[in-house]
Amino acid sequence: MKNKFSLRRAVNNMNLVRFRFWFQIVAFLLIVYGGYAGLDLGNKLPTFACVYNSEGTGGKCYVGMLQHDLKHPLETFAGYAGYAFLISLGMFIVWFWVLNKGWCGFVCPLGTMQDWLSMLRGKMKIGYSEYSWANREKIKSVKYILLILLLLLPVMIANSVFGLPKLPNGLSMPFCDICPGRMMIPAFTGDFNQFYIDFSSKTDIVMTTLGMIVSGLFLVGSFIKKRFFCYFCPMAALQYIFSKPALLKLNKEGSKCTRCGDCYRACDMDILEIADDVTSKNLVTEDCTLCLKCVAACPEEGCLEAAFMGKTIFESTKEGFLLRMAMDQRGEKHGN
Amino acid sequence: METEHTIETPHQRQNRHKAMEAISVLNALKEDFKFPIQSMGYFYDRFEKVYCHHEPLHEGKAKIGTMCIQIPSEIIYALDAVPIRLCNGFSTDDEIGSDLLPQKSCPLVKATVGWFASDNFFDKPDITFSPTTCDQKTKAGAIIESFGHTVIDVGFPRTKESEESRHYWRESVKSFAVKLSKFQGKKLTRSNLERAIKKVGYVQSLYHKLTEFRKNKAVPILGVDMFLVTNAFFFDRIDEWIGAVEKLVSELERRANDGVNVAGKASPRIIYTGSPPIFPNYKIPLIIEQSDAIIVADETCSSNRMFNDMAAVDEWNLYDMIDSVSDKYLKGCTCPIFTQNDDRIRRIIQLVRSYSGDGVIYQAFAGCQVYEMEQRSVLAAMEREGIPILYIESDYSPSQHGQLTTRVEAFVESLKNRKRKKK
Repeated sequence: MKNKFSLRRAVNNMNLVRFRFWFQIVAFLLIVYGGYAGLDLGNKLPTFACVYNSEGTGGKCYVGMLQHDLKHPLETFAGYAGYAFLISLGMFIVWFWVLNKGWCGFVCPLGTMQDWLSMLRGKMKIGYSEYSWANREKIKSVKYILLILLLLLPVMIANSVFGLPKLPNGLSMPFCDICPGRMMIPAFTGDFNQFYIDFSSKTDIVMTTLGMIVSGLFLVGSFIKKRFFCYFCPMAALQYIFSKPALLKLNKEGSKCTRCGDCYRACDMDILEIADDVTSKNLVTEDCTLCLKCVAACPEEGCLEAAFMGKTIFESTKEGFLLRMAMDQRGEKHGN
Repeated sequence: METEHTIETPHQRQNRHKAMEAISVLNALKEDFKFPIQSMGYFYDRFEKVYCHHEPLHEGKAKIGTMCIQIPSEIIYALDAVPIRLCNGFSTDDEIGSDLLPQKSCPLVKATVGWFASDNFFDKPDITFSPTTCDQKTKAGAIIESFGHTVIDVGFPRTKESEESRHYWRESVKSFAVKLSKFQGKKLTRSNLERAIKKVGYVQSLYHKLTEFRKNKAVPILGVDMFLVTNAFFFDRIDEWIGAVEKLVSELERRANDGVNVAGKASPRIIYTGSPPIFPNYKIPLIIEQSDAIIVADETCSSNRMFNDMAAVDEWNLYDMIDSVSDKYLKGCTCPIFTQNDDRIRRIIQLVRSYSGDGVIYQAFAGCQVYEMEQRSVLAAMEREGIPILYIESDYSPSQHGQLTTRVEAFVESLKNRKRKKK
């Protein structure tokens, strides 16, 4: 009996920051360089495995694929293309259900890059900034607007919607054009070719310029604000639509919560609900990246937990908290 | 034959009275209960030394008076000073304070003011920080200042849900740190604050270990002893306190293994909430435990609230450490001065559940307006949950002992009946 519990105890006592750091590195290697080793996880991945990193990528991002799929005359969706589209979407959802938003917190290479920049900032002892709660609330809708645009624009290239003229072909991958991943990820394989402004048409000039600006913002933004880009990520918006039935969950037992706010302090996405909501069980909110830092920062026994298919895999414990905060012993470091 | 006649000075008389108050409570703790705990000896001695023999503990160190729990002790320790919490439980001081404050004021505040008025300390604070919590504490700061003490107000918000409150309090704590740092002529650094946060965290972890034992069916430690342990942290040398509590933890471990029960088999398990029992005002806790009930947990600022919620730091840099310490004293706090206080009700219910409490005793000091006002909502919530609760008003005077005993005994008896019926 004691053995059975000691594995669980070891997991609950783990140093989540270190575990996640290494997990992210492995995931980064697989996603960004996996292609060199022949890895191909398909093109429905719910994470930014960038198609522009054509040689190295270990799979392809579904958001890129999705824009591509939608650039067809509407009639074709009534037939074979419609099924193909649904199958693609279905495969994306299946991938997504495995890790839920954990794709963001543990796998996404753009997320990982932002965490590295935050780490660098921390090492330089520079404080981070936060959005005001009011602004935080306002920017929530940006990712949905981006999602709608990236769904709508490709359709409007192939079709005349509401009698409007068709859009130029330069908008066929509108989000990829402005996605910082297009520049940052290939750069890790030594390919800096994506840093350019395309002068071939007006649309291309605008879109590639926007892309350059967004990449600049990405670097500066995520240096001063943790996970700066994730607030605006349309992939997060797309994922959240299907998040409810996912297998990996972040659960909260509200009656055990003292609302001390430790979880909120740890949250890179400043999600207020994690601390203040004492009635919901499922705490995977729209901006959650399932990084589990909140679970690691919670000092209440069994208040927060990560569960896979209903089975607890990692939960908050007093002991784990004390170990992670190095408050478990007097230690010579603590002496007067 | 000639005998030497000396006339007792007011200070001597005050000290004699305080010593009498202190020793009678200490004797009750030591002698009125079965299975005394050996390692409690440290605490009995410490209180006797300080309150009966008036021996200072911190000579040569800067002593920082704090008027409430919200002044971060982490920052005080980091700056190499000693926090002295000035919440006072002596009836002698309460009487002195009564002349200076309105008649219907809180005895705790009166006692604190009385202490300063008589200027009779074992460890006199060099400077006092007063968080603006309840009206009476807030106004007491200015009165104490008029006696010639340095009192610095630290702005504390009375709502904790809002963003403004959080920012306001963080700024307050920063400005407190700056002022204290100037006063001490010492810089607050990453390493000294980190060390202090971890040390206070360890202190809290020890408290949590102690409380774990009280969840057992056979409770190895009395509630009044627990109050004494936590109250000692108001003024004790932190390292000695840590050492003593470590010993206490291991003794309780042994007692828990042996199934030692300081209460009776049928003793109702009480959750204590309300105005803080502060040594030597253990009137109600003593009556409860002398009436064959046992306090298994409490929700008061002289004990649980002081240790329960721990600071979590995300980035161990000064900016994040100060913010996390600030949040600890605001967000987790269940003080009734806050406008909304669902958290306190939820905490009490959670304590009843996890410590298998049979009932709640809610004690408010006559004159402690916020606790008196919150009584209705707590009573209503307990009724909803089906938890028996007794509400008592009392003060520091020793006069109502008989009447209080009758009420507590009746409540304990009803809990026993309830328990029997359940079986």
